[in-house]
Amino acid sequence: MGKPKKKLLIADGTEFNRSVLADAVGKEYDILFARDGAETVKYIRSYGTDLSLVLMNAAMPKISGTEVLEMMNGYKWIRDIPVIVVSSDARSEIAERAFGLGAIDFVAIPFEPKVIACRAKNAIAVYERQKKLLGLIEEQVYKQEKEQSLTINVLGSVVEFRNGESGMHVPHIYAMTEILLQNLLKISDKYKLTPQEISLIATASAMHDVGKISVDEKILNKPGKLTAGEFELVKKHTVYGSDMLEKIPFNRNAPLLGRAKEICRWHHERYDGKGYPDGLRGDAIPIAAQVVGLADAYDALTSDRPYKKAYSHDAAVEMIVNGECGAFNPVLIKALKWAASNIQNELRMSSLSGAGYRDVARITRELVSRGETSVSGRAVELMGRERAKFEFLAESCKDIVFEINAEPRFLSFKDGDAARLGVSPAVTADDAKGALNAAYNGVYGLFGLPDAATAERPEICKDLKLIIDGVEKVCRVRLLAHYAGANCVFDGAVGIIETGD
Amino acid sequence: MTLREFYEVTGGDYGDVMGRFVTEERVLRFVRKFPADGSFAALKSSLADGNAQEAFRAAHTVKGVAQNLGFTALFTVAEVVTNILRGGSLAVDERMPELERLYNLTVESIAALD
Repeated sequence: MGKPKKKLLIADGTEFNRSVLADAVGKEYDILFARDGAETVKYIRSYGTDLSLVLMNAAMPKISGTEVLEMMNGYKWIRDIPVIVVSSDARSEIAERAFGLGAIDFVAIPFEPKVIACRAKNAIAVYERQKKLLGLIEEQVYKQEKEQSLTINVLGSVVEFRNGESGMHVPHIYAMTEILLQNLLKISDKYKLTPQEISLIATASAMHDVGKISVDEKILNKPGKLTAGEFELVKKHTVYGSDMLEKIPFNRNAPLLGRAKEICRWHHERYDGKGYPDGLRGDAIPIAAQVVGLADAYDALTSDRPYKKAYSHDAAVEMIVNGECGAFNPVLIKALKWAASNIQNELRMSSLSGAGYRDVARITRELVSRGETSVSGRAVELMGRERAKFEFLAESCKDIVFEINAEPRFLSFKDGDAARLGVSPAVTADDAKGALNAAYNGVYGLFGLPDAATAERPEICKDLKLIIDGVEKVCRVRLLAHYAGANCVFDGAVGIIETGD
Repeated sequence: MTLREFYEVTGGDYGDVMGRFVTEERVLRFVRKFPADGSFAALKSSLADGNAQEAFRAAHTVKGVAQNLGFTALFTVAEVVTNILRGGSLAVDERMPELERLYNLTVESIAALD
């Protein structure tokens, strides 16, 4: 058996056009046919990036080609699935609109079949190359990230060794900083934290104590209590650290260096202004320094030191909450409490791996989405996998399973179920509304179901009169609506019609 | 009737379609599908129902199919009708008899193909 054929979707409202296009692209593809816009969307949802190409007429029944493109933009599918728009309307604004919505090519009718085949091949090649490049970027980011963190962690740990510490302080602070920031992000939007920024601060945290190389080793490793004079010398490591970084002659404007300077100088400042060296108060202390300060206090408590034994995790959290290590930002304390249950596991994991590289995929996504490309290919792929699961379950279910697409609003059924209901596999509200056909009338009731659901209570159960296998009966319909984004916008629903067979 | 004669009788462009589709066999395959396309019937019924939007879509399809097959005469009239319907006007009565005559001529001639 050779390689599986590439899947190509031909979307056109006219059978004649579909067969001409199919003939034009040739026999090397596994061709799917959509007879209108709703079916087109249904296929794109089901197959995702398994579709190598969509050849679509701009004018289609139910949902126009333009609307399909708009929707593909909304879901960012257009970046992963190439679309060639075909139109017998040669006016330039039709082509312009198609290109504006991300179509990779535009073909005017009458077309030369041979040229269509070439354009199809070209479009597929361009998208495949893009996918390959994304994979390469991801790999590079991973490698670079790993090497950069490793270098910084090694240097940070060298400083720790001089204090007679285990060398685990740096990876602990890294992991702890990251955990705190991620929890902070969940409970507050006051600080402009992006995954990129979180990673930057966590990486910079390794340098928080570099200033200690300018402090006398004898004082740092003194087993007993420090005198007031000695303590004043130790406190200077904050200023030494930021001054040293200030003098670095290269990459002066690198954000990493900026964060590292803030962290070095101010990680011993306290929220009430009673810290050192500058006595900054509240959010005058940069958030990076606040977080690393808290992480540092926690790790100091939970580690053995020449002058003390390690406290347990619970005791350490309690001491911090009670203000025994000085005052911290109340929101950060909240983040610490939120994170408390994860911290121990996370620290153990990060100790094993050296430092957390868990979020390379996330960083890559962030990086790349700032540019022109996207890695949503992976998202579409995952969605495809979810689809496959859903469809398997739907196949095995004797009841009728349906989906409601949010925008544009339409219902879709499996072909067999559509036949049982006497409707087409994709039904728009307009098809069903005010239809004289009793089957469509019944199905129209399904459209209203999501209106009663909310993001808090997304499940709906209702008895509806429907026609199944030609017989009118009352069926129980259960529906689960889903919502997307921070504003909980309705994003579609799945439902089951219990046929009672 | 040969394919070339068919294009002469119906006012089509044999050279154009052969230039694009290359073989007569291929052209014939699609020409023979033409009568099965319901767009012209849809155009007439949409006009009868006063549904300008559907009429436009149907006319647009007739135009596209005719153009693709090199049915130049049919295409030319279909284009005029499409452009009238595009703006939402239904004032195509003057053009429809000619379009219908050409459509029927095309369908009848297809039946007479060798």
